[in-house]
Amino acid sequence: MLEHEANANANSTHSKTTGLPRKRFYRARAHSNPLSDSHFPVPISPGQVDYSVYYPQLFPSPDKFDGSKRIEFADVGCGFGGLLISLSTMFPETLMIGMELRDKVTEYVKERVVALRSSNPGQYENVSVVRTNSMKYIPNYFEKEQLTKMFFLFPDPHFKEKNHRRRVINLHLLDEYAYVLREGGIIYTITDVEELGVWMKSCLEGHPLFEAVTKEELEADAVVKLLSSATEEGQKVARNGGQTFQAVYRRIAPCVSNCEKH
Amino acid sequence: MEEESEKNPETDVAPALISVHPTHKFVSVAVGSDLRVFNLQESCVVTLADESGAHKDSIRAIRYSANGQLFVSAGDDKLVKIWATDSWRCIYSVVSEKRVSAVGISNDGMFVCFADKFGVVYVVDIEDHDVEDRVPVNKKAVPILSHYCSIITRLEFSLDGRFIVSADRDFKIRVTIFPKNPVNGAHEIQSFCLGHTEFVSCLAFVGCQDYPQGLLVSGSGDSTVRLWDHTSGSLLDTYNCGAQAELLHSNGKEEEILPAITDLCTTPDSSVVAVAIQSLPGVMLLRCNLSTRTLSVAKVVSIAGEAFIPTSIGGHLGF
Ligand SMILES: C[S@@+](CC[C@H](N)C(=O)[O-])C[C@H]1O[C@@H](n2cnc3c(N)ncnc32)[C@H](O)[C@@H]1O
Repeated sequence: MLEHEANANANSTHSKTTGLPRKRFYRARAHSNPLSDSHFPVPISPGQVDYSVYYPQLFPSPDKFDGSKRIEFADVGCGFGGLLISLSTMFPETLMIGMELRDKVTEYVKERVVALRSSNPGQYENVSVVRTNSMKYIPNYFEKEQLTKMFFLFPDPHFKEKNHRRRVINLHLLDEYAYVLREGGIIYTITDVEELGVWMKSCLEGHPLFEAVTKEELEADAVVKLLSSATEEGQKVARNGGQTFQAVYRRIAPCVSNCEKH
Repeated sequence: MEEESEKNPETDVAPALISVHPTHKFVSVAVGSDLRVFNLQESCVVTLADESGAHKDSIRAIRYSANGQLFVSAGDDKLVKIWATDSWRCIYSVVSEKRVSAVGISNDGMFVCFADKFGVVYVVDIEDHDVEDRVPVNKKAVPILSHYCSIITRLEFSLDGRFIVSADRDFKIRVTIFPKNPVNGAHEIQSFCLGHTEFVSCLAFVGCQDYPQGLLVSGSGDSTVRLWDHTSGSLLDTYNCGAQAELLHSNGKEEEILPAITDLCTTPDSSVVAVAIQSLPGVMLLRCNLSTRTLSVAKVVSIAGEAFIPTSIGGHLGF
């Protein structure tokens, strides 16, 4: 995956000879999208996400969007979009979006949705995809407590210890996911890499705003069955008879008193 | 404000920094790796006592605690030095894994926070700093929150001490509840203040007796100063300082490039915000109306002289 490291050298924005901030690093561009990260635009805030771009049938023009219906499911690193396609018909009234970093993969999902919409009139209008780096821009897309479900299916493992901070589930990023999820919202994770499975579970377990969903609830939740079967990656693992490791956690209210988890 | 240092042309020079003691007793200035403290009441230079030696690389952040008992300096040498201002002895020298870009001190003086160049904010518990005969220990910093892969430019505590606010080089301002026991992490995000379109360079709170929780102001490379309700994250007002400053001091060149806001400074119980702007040889004073929640220009103070670029602004302004 692409990685946008923090500019390691803060000094480079300053001139070597004068020590003054270099103009080119400090200029405010007048026209281009100021928040573009390499090649894709980023909305300045969730209020500026244009729903008519993603759900044209439901929001025919940008001004028709009154904020009454918002995206509730996010599939982070959605890949080719298999999960979203299944969820779309399972929850026809819910708006959902895939977030994907790779340009070509995003384009593929877009075309896939367009094709499904035209061959099944009235269906798949609630599903869309956006090219973005979810590790940086989740708060630009979703308000506090907006989402009810987040999915992290077969994320990149980043084996080396020094790259663990690149994992899409880590203790710090969970703060942001807890922020965009409403109380009772569910975070679904699955992987075929045991080490990553253990890691994701321990991050969620160690976070004060998440608690494990009980076995009974997992069995009753139809979405859980999709985790290993609906995505392209999941199907590949299943074909090869691979084992999978899932962790499903619920967003809980913070402890009011200064109580400690465990 | 300080003029940029022109010495040492071979190496990158950090912007000069200034910080004024809350009761005007001292003023501290950092230029490069050099830290100087001047006693304003006795009009003399303060001698710093630091067994571990002075900073060895550019200082990137300095500040006094709210009660003035502590002073913190940190930067590229990966050291966070915590000083007792009664003796000007360095009482703790905390080692950071990475270079330090910002520091903050909780309002009660119990915790020092600092941010490294990977966007991680750490906390150091210094509750025991005024214990007599304390054995000097090497304090360990623990990570409490992170901005993913963006350099944090500023850390600020809200006036009521409930929140720690962090700003970064992307455009983000994050408001996080500062827990009673922060060493377990600060996981609960109160809001994101989103609206700036360039890096956020500075943060400050304005408040008054009638409005003790205050409002947040921020300055940015997008040339604006913005006023926020930090509890909800809503943008209340935007003042385009750069456009104003250009009008006043137009040199006919580079019209399209709006100058960055380099620093902001507020004074307790006052609604005036002093703004340092990259191209303005002086300071712009904004008035923040806490009941209408708006910003307006109060005055532009010109400072004559050549090659004056304000980089840092501090203290109680006598305007
Ligand atoms: C191994 S694939 C799994 C895809 C899909 N979830 C599945 O199960 O088939 C991981 C995906 O995450 C995407 N990804 C990695 N980092 C990302 C980031 N920071 N933001 C958005 N997508 C990311 C990759 O481009 C890749 O498509």
